[in-house]
Amino acid sequence: MLFDAFIENSFLQMALWASLLASFASGVIGSFVVVKRIAFIAGSIAHSILGGMGFCLWLQRTYEIAWLDPIWGAFAASLASALIVGWMHLNYRQREDAVIAAIWSTGMAVGVIFISLTPGTNVDLLNFLFGNILWIQPRDLLLLAALDGVVLLTAAIFYRKFLALCFDEDQALLQGVSVKRLYLLLLCLVAVSIVILLQVIGTILVIALLTVPATLASLFTHRLHAMMAIAAILCAGFSFFGLSASYLLNWPPGATISLAAAAVYFLVLLLKKIKFSFAKSVRSVPN
Amino acid sequence: MKSIAVEIRQLSFAYGNGPVLQKIDLNIASGEWIGIMGPNGGGKTTLLKLLMGFLMPTEGTVSIFGQTPAKARLSIGYVPQVHKTDRDFPITLYELVLLGALSKTNFFGVYPEEVKEKALHLIEKMGLSPHKNKVFGSLSGGLAQRALLARALLSDPDLILLDEPTANIDPPSAAAIYELLASLRGKKTILLVTHDLRAIVEKVDRVLCVQGQVTSFLPKEICEHFALGLYHTPLLGLPSNHFKKGSDALRCVH
Repeated sequence: MLFDAFIENSFLQMALWASLLASFASGVIGSFVVVKRIAFIAGSIAHSILGGMGFCLWLQRTYEIAWLDPIWGAFAASLASALIVGWMHLNYRQREDAVIAAIWSTGMAVGVIFISLTPGTNVDLLNFLFGNILWIQPRDLLLLAALDGVVLLTAAIFYRKFLALCFDEDQALLQGVSVKRLYLLLLCLVAVSIVILLQVIGTILVIALLTVPATLASLFTHRLHAMMAIAAILCAGFSFFGLSASYLLNWPPGATISLAAAAVYFLVLLLKKIKFSFAKSVRSVPN
Repeated sequence: MKSIAVEIRQLSFAYGNGPVLQKIDLNIASGEWIGIMGPNGGGKTTLLKLLMGFLMPTEGTVSIFGQTPAKARLSIGYVPQVHKTDRDFPITLYELVLLGALSKTNFFGVYPEEVKEKALHLIEKMGLSPHKNKVFGSLSGGLAQRALLARALLSDPDLILLDEPTANIDPPSAAAIYELLASLRGKKTILLVTHDLRAIVEKVDRVLCVQGQVTSFLPKEICEHFALGLYHTPLLGLPSNHFKKGSDALRCVH
């Protein structure tokens, strides 16, 4: 029944392709987010883009500008947030967390206001917040593929410099790397990846796909490139499982994908804990 | 006459309103091996960061081989304390050592073959070959510290800064580090922050005591009281025969 649905249902097929494309960005950029420990910054960028989306939706509906899709607002807002948060990180570290929280809430507040001012039904708000992968159109897939290409190519070219930046900024500086510019570039890649993942899972839940697969992958490997590959595979798996559950249970796909990722993560942590306790008890048994 | 590697003039530095270093004047000649000691919070690590240009002086100037620290960075190798590195980071020992020559990668981030060969040679020289593909975080403190030294040496820097490289590590690793540094004596300028008095007396050319100010000592002037944080400020100016000579340099005669 499920297999037939994926064969026959074009919405599900589009959703599957979108989640597959999103998995590449999730695996590669999510791994940088996890090892650089910037999940809070990524969360701030993800939530603040609601402001850009709401503004574009309001312009589109109020002034009937058909081409002004909210995704462009998301794109602009994510890059602006990334640059602002990055600049604050580089120049005002003492108050960094408070500033990040302020950008997080300001973006969401602006988005909520513009969406409330927008004429027509507000079903879009829920779709932006929690995603609706079943909305994906063929042209969206092209955009996702193009953004994926930009993210992956940039990450490949700057891989070693990002590795140095994430591991030891001082060493990168000594080797002539412009750490500030590189850090802003990494945040811009995070921003673009969030726009890609947004299509699948929405602004509220996007941080789940950006961090959980990479964190899980780090439990199985100690090489960054292997972590990226495993995270991408896990993200694709979570998306497929979540989509299937969504189809069978008639639940929102963003929520089922996010829950699938979290469930596997906690299960693996539990299994590792049991394995560790078992090994410890075996060691403590006297001969 | 030896050229000047490090020239510091009237250097002061403060974190906010708290002064750390005040009105320091200092010259270090090329090829000198300097030991840096002093109490915790005295400004040793801050001094290293000023030399690398990571911090800007509140007053005064720092010059490295006649250039500003920011411009001279490629001629500096830095060995941080191993416990200040992220031991959970997914990186192998070989990858870590290669980061010491990041400036030599091409546009696509690929290292030249000669850099890879040199990294392998350094890894072998430090006795790390069996651990080459191991995760950095899985190495003992001593092995990890040796890897950080290999990374610092990969770009063949003229000035090497080491921040307590032998603190809390096993004796064989400490010996390997000192052996390698000894092989560089006279060829590189070495600044070694350490609390290891024995190493300071036996190995370095000059000792800097950093305690807000910088005071220069000869190794023979170092005594066991330094280990207690008593840097003999009241005794400064006493004749050098105040201290026993030779291997008993650690013993103060008063």
